[in-house]
Amino acid sequence: MLTCVTKSLAIAAMLAATAIATTLSASAEESTSPGPEYYSALKGKKVGFVPISMGFDLTQGWLAGMQRQAKELGYEIIVRDPNWSVESGIQAINSLIAEKPDLLIIQNNDDRSYNRLVKQAMAAGIPTIQVQQRVQTPSDAYIGPDWYDIGKKTATALAAKCGKGTSGKVAVVQGARAAPASILMLAGVEDTLKAIPEIQIVSSQAADWDTTKAYAIMSTVLKQHADLCGVVGFWDVADLGSAAAIREAGLKDKVTLVTSGGGKRDAACEKITAGDFSVYYSYNVAGQARDLNSAIKMLLQAKMKPGSAPFALLSPLTQITKENMSPTSCWMQAEIEQAGG
Amino acid sequence: MLSLASDFTTRWHYRLVPYHVTGELLSKNWIDSAIPFLMLFASIAVFGSLIPNLFAVGNISDLSRTVGEYLLIGLGLTIVVIAGGIDLSVGSVFALANLLMLALGGPIGLPLWLAALAVLAVGGLVGLVNGVLVGYLRLRAFLTTLVMLIIVRAVVDTLLLSYSREIGSVEIAAPVWDFIAFGNVFGVSVSFIVAVVLAALAHIFLTRLRPGWHILAVGGSRRAAHNGGINVRRTVCMTYVLSGMLSSAAGIFYAARLASLGNDTGVGLEVTLLTAVVLGGTSLGGGRGSVFKTFLGVIIVVIITNSLIRLGVRSGASSLVLGTILLFAVAIDVRWLKNRHKILARAYVSPTYFALPPLQSAAANSGSPYAINAALSVAEPIGLAEVDGPEDVILDREGNLYCGSRDGNIQRFFAPDHKRHEIFAHIGGQTLGLAFDRDGNLLTCVGGMGLYKVTPQREVIKLSDETNRSLFSIVDDSRMRLADDLDIAADGRVFFSEATIRYAMHDWIIDALEGRGNGRIICYDPRDGSSRTVVHKRQFPNGICMVPDGESFLFAETWGCRISRYWFGGAKTGRIESVIHDLPGYPDNINRASDGAFWCGIIGMRAPAFDMAQRMPGFRRRMVSRIARDEWIYPNMNTGGVIKFDLAGKVVQSLWDVGGERHPQVTSIREHKGYLYLGGIFNNRIGKYRIPGADLNWTAHESYWSASI
Repeated sequence: MLTCVTKSLAIAAMLAATAIATTLSASAEESTSPGPEYYSALKGKKVGFVPISMGFDLTQGWLAGMQRQAKELGYEIIVRDPNWSVESGIQAINSLIAEKPDLLIIQNNDDRSYNRLVKQAMAAGIPTIQVQQRVQTPSDAYIGPDWYDIGKKTATALAAKCGKGTSGKVAVVQGARAAPASILMLAGVEDTLKAIPEIQIVSSQAADWDTTKAYAIMSTVLKQHADLCGVVGFWDVADLGSAAAIREAGLKDKVTLVTSGGGKRDAACEKITAGDFSVYYSYNVAGQARDLNSAIKMLLQAKMKPGSAPFALLSPLTQITKENMSPTSCWMQAEIEQAGG
Repeated sequence: MLSLASDFTTRWHYRLVPYHVTGELLSKNWIDSAIPFLMLFASIAVFGSLIPNLFAVGNISDLSRTVGEYLLIGLGLTIVVIAGGIDLSVGSVFALANLLMLALGGPIGLPLWLAALAVLAVGGLVGLVNGVLVGYLRLRAFLTTLVMLIIVRAVVDTLLLSYSREIGSVEIAAPVWDFIAFGNVFGVSVSFIVAVVLAALAHIFLTRLRPGWHILAVGGSRRAAHNGGINVRRTVCMTYVLSGMLSSAAGIFYAARLASLGNDTGVGLEVTLLTAVVLGGTSLGGGRGSVFKTFLGVIIVVIITNSLIRLGVRSGASSLVLGTILLFAVAIDVRWLKNRHKILARAYVSPTYFALPPLQSAAANSGSPYAINAALSVAEPIGLAEVDGPEDVILDREGNLYCGSRDGNIQRFFAPDHKRHEIFAHIGGQTLGLAFDRDGNLLTCVGGMGLYKVTPQREVIKLSDETNRSLFSIVDDSRMRLADDLDIAADGRVFFSEATIRYAMHDWIIDALEGRGNGRIICYDPRDGSSRTVVHKRQFPNGICMVPDGESFLFAETWGCRISRYWFGGAKTGRIESVIHDLPGYPDNINRASDGAFWCGIIGMRAPAFDMAQRMPGFRRRMVSRIARDEWIYPNMNTGGVIKFDLAGKVVQSLWDVGGERHPQVTSIREHKGYLYLGGIFNNRIGKYRIPGADLNWTAHESYWSASI
């Protein structure tokens, strides 16, 4: 009887040992794959997104890219649309901070309005990404172009066409005055053109990122300076207006229009092909969406104290002209929705 | 049987359902706020349940910043709109103030208080330009302020273009500045508290101070205000200055909060705030509105916009919703203002079931004590065409005759022949019941005013215009609308009837259509000056006459066609007993007769049609709601007379003027030395009728006051 008991105990002990060993070896095997932690770091998370406004190419493109990844990895993107109003944006961000999402993505109108909110969000333990424009406070990540560089590059491209032998008269169609993007691009343009004596800036006005305003400005400038050589615009969507004004004045072949933007097919490549834009610098929204997704994944996994290690992913710039254009130079919304981000 | 049963259900239906409440609620001034109130509750209920922590402490503190700024602008806009104008430039002024504050306090480096004052001054200046253009030069407010919106916006844009980099380079750093922007007091923002304090001041300004009343008057009717001696132009101008300054104040708070140089600052604020103001119930037509309404409107608008953002509604939808609400609010404003009095007219008259006892015959030769005759057709006229509506008449110790009038006078006809007359006193209102007290003071009930006393030296003294307020009455029944008749007890207490608490003097006859006990009897005690309601819910209590026992009086209920006796002293204190319950006509004043009986004036005779209508409240409801006032069925008011009855309720005599030439209706009768003096509220004379066989020495004065002297 006794031996019987001992025996069974021994068997039980052995079985237990085997079981432990199996578990150990199993976990050792899995630790070589990042899969589980990666997925669990992202699954069920909430990412707040406050753009300047939805409904235009940049924000629609980013959101499409981000949503594709969110769907795949099982987290949620909460969009609060302030519809171009800073006041609404503040309410939107405040409400999101109160709801404590796992990550916050903010597109700034200017470099001040949301400054305190960015600090507040990070103080509340929410990692914060700023996209396209930044406030003074650096947050965990900044994704957007180097605006000063765009200013320099577009001005240089313009200078190449408006050098000796032309009137040398150029116009600048700015964005919104208080927007850092516009301020920096203007500085880039002015710094570049200052060095070229034969070029003279005859007009530098703000179109507030607005097609109609750009159209109105350009029509007037062309009436005043029929011999205008070139225009540097700050955003393709607004510069559709500048281009229309040039076309209507019958000066399409004479006035060079250099602009920049997100590189959406109908606002960029098609207009370049049509000859509306001479040179175009794209910061490629599809690529930005990818950067956004990378930053989201990194920040959600790293779980660092917000603001402790800010980084920037500056969007690479691509020059697009009629000559160098390829089928992949521009993107379409449907493409991002299907395979982007 | 069937009709009995339906009478029974009708009676209980109308007794149990308080239909009159609807009209009384609608007649309240605050009913204008009912719609915004409901909307506020609805928006709180809907969005509060849709959005989990919409009303969390943190969010309320955040919202209070927006509400504070909006409320400041809203106050200004409310004042302008109440004065009949509109100020579309508020958003631009707001943006200008924001920019100037950041510039003056930042790179220019003024002390913050000085910068704020300067900004307020600039806002006031823009308002002044608006005010001069609209107020003094009489330009259209809409276009003028629209142009100002564009001009000021252009100034802001130009300044931004030239200086945004400089302004943006220096941030205002001061603890006060941060406190203004982000400090909380009792969980709400500084701007909110400032706005609420200013709102309270603005409320006092608009409702209690002369300039505020002027603004309301100008908004109500420019011409009437001008004719009333108000400086319309200056008043209008001032509203724009206030609006400009308040918008500036909001801009300062915005600057502190955001330090934003964005070009969208204040864009569209005029529409948002206009929505809030109109939604609150302030009428775009001017003259109606209040600060509290705007407060409600602002809260609704902020809750809705914030909720739409939080619900993640996409671009444009928010503006669409706000625009729709504005449209809705304007529609309500227009329709409500246009139809309010119509709805009120229809809903206010609230008939109920009332069944009179069977009609007594008054046919000539019928043997009835009411049998009609022509006795009064010989009454001699006094003051023919010189009196206007002598509802009551009375004689003093010396035999001088007094009567009231429609224009608030008391006229005196001198004894002995009553041919000469003078205005004894002017009180105002409509002087109705009259009575002399022991000291020879003439007390009178004045319709629309209350109980007044005229001393022999003709000094007019108000005795009472207020009684205790009932707990559940919606109309303010502490006010006296229609004090009617009075009598004075031996101890000096004055008992007077208030015919109805639901209608004013000019609408007195509409009270008949309700068939409800809307009247009451009030006791004024000269010992402590207090007034207290002693008998409630009577059907147009009218004449009051002291019974010589010193502890009771008789009172007539005109639409009730009855006379009752009320004990105010003795063993039966507080009891009411019926004396006559089935008069064939509508009784008015009661007075003593020389033989110990009582006279009672009859202002009109009951008619079967109206009696039947009284039992058909549904019919009367349909009547008042569907046809014009002139077509309504009213009690008959063109045959009246005088009856004499004793305390047992026996009618001993009746006097009529069957042809209706001289006294088609009698509201008052006074016996004096063998003559009967007759008054009628629609009559142009006082009648003097010789009573066959009456005591030639009897005077009411002695009957009342000599025994106890």
